[in-house]
Amino acid sequence: MENNYPFSEESINSSISFRSLVNATSYPGRHFQISKLKKPNILSNAAATILITLCDNESNVYLSKDFSTDEVKDWLIFNTGAIVSDKQNADFAVGDWESLLPLDEFKTGVPEYPERSTTLIIEESNYKKIKCNINGPGIKDKLQIELPNPELFINNSHLYPLGLDFYFTNDLDILSIPRSTKISVTNSEY
Amino acid sequence: MNDMSKDKNIDIQIYNFAYLDENTKRMIRRALLKALCIPGYQVPFSSREMPMPYGWGTGGIQVTSACLIPKDVLKVIDQGADDTTNAVSIRKFFQKTANVAVTEKTSDASLIQTRHRIPETKLKEQQILVYQVPIPEPLRFLEPRETETRKMHALSEYGLMFVKLYEDIAKHGHIETAYAYPVKTNGNYVTDPSPIPKFDNPKMNNNPAIQLFGAGREQRIYAIPPYTNVKSLDFEDYPFEAMKANFKCSICGSSDSYLDEIIVSDDGKRSYICSDTDYCKEQTQLNSKEEDQ
Ligand SMILES: [Zn+2]
Repeated sequence: MENNYPFSEESINSSISFRSLVNATSYPGRHFQISKLKKPNILSNAAATILITLCDNESNVYLSKDFSTDEVKDWLIFNTGAIVSDKQNADFAVGDWESLLPLDEFKTGVPEYPERSTTLIIEESNYKKIKCNINGPGIKDKLQIELPNPELFINNSHLYPLGLDFYFTNDLDILSIPRSTKISVTNSEY
Repeated sequence: MNDMSKDKNIDIQIYNFAYLDENTKRMIRRALLKALCIPGYQVPFSSREMPMPYGWGTGGIQVTSACLIPKDVLKVIDQGADDTTNAVSIRKFFQKTANVAVTEKTSDASLIQTRHRIPETKLKEQQILVYQVPIPEPLRFLEPRETETRKMHALSEYGLMFVKLYEDIAKHGHIETAYAYPVKTNGNYVTDPSPIPKFDNPKMNNNPAIQLFGAGREQRIYAIPPYTNVKSLDFEDYPFEAMKANFKCSICGSSDSYLDEIIVSDDGKRSYICSDTDYCKEQTQLNSKEEDQ
């Protein structure tokens, strides 16, 4: 069938980005790739892609310390219409690991509406990485990955079906740890 | 710019890929990702008017629209068949609005939209199965109030559901429910599998593919991620059984697929054929290959 319908570039790009997010969210602990886009230097392509694919003028976005610049705010507002917010009201939060702590100020949803919770986008930084086993929905048997402060992820999974959902972003790479993922530490020295 | 080129510009209309506008997709996409993070939980969304009436799978169509990418190969089935009016019209809709390739082969499809069946052919990782759902709330027939069912899910108060199933056993000696047989997803939420035959329920469990559910009129989206525990509700003394008719397909001879009963002659003589037409074709081809050898 011949294509007589020129599709908007935006709608093509967003569909491809979203599909990567579907795969990443469906298969926690695995790495998925997204493509490059125009964005502020401090943001990774992956983090910028999540924001631009999912945020609109109903989304509250918390930008932690180094990410709370005029450049990032202007880019975010211009491209998505999102509202820059504090931690307590954030639907999305972006930053490096240390700057997003403590986690308990973010919303974890309520029993009737567990989806009303924060999605955290954690940019690659030099946090201490600890080997963990993960299992749960989306994971065939189990996987081994590295996480910062595994105890915080373990606490989060205990809130299930409430809780926070995480994306780890690094340049073009994205990896998810949703609230449904169970974590155990493998390294006995920890 | 001269007048000619102005006219030309007016002629060129730019379309949204797969029909829905970007704002609507963003809202649906957020709901879909949260649904994947909370398996079996029904996420509310604002359903949009689609160019077909409710009952035609508008929920599934909106989910497909939000997920589709240009290189997808789409399969659409209705009761297992690719050639029913409903399946054909949905397939045509996405050929027109997304220009995607289509197939009838389950193994070739990257995204499958379905009404009332799960394909017999095993699904693979990263394949997406989109279910059209008429009534997403498995507790609705016990409790009509949304605020109450929401509370019941929040408290995992599923006693009434088990009472209803047990009443079936008391009355009929077995559980009568043959379609939309409720399941528990990831040990937590009781979930409606849409009106698939209970024969299909075990296929939902630990499936490598991504299962997404869209209810248009009821404005709900839910999901079963890959490799997720999905258990049909049952009792220790009455374990769940995925029964099927004890016959063979009269076309391909398969005895392990779900069969539709058809009347083949005026005097009411009955016959059975696979409900999954792609599977039936595949089995028939396999049989003729074996005969050739
Ligand atoms: Zn057959």
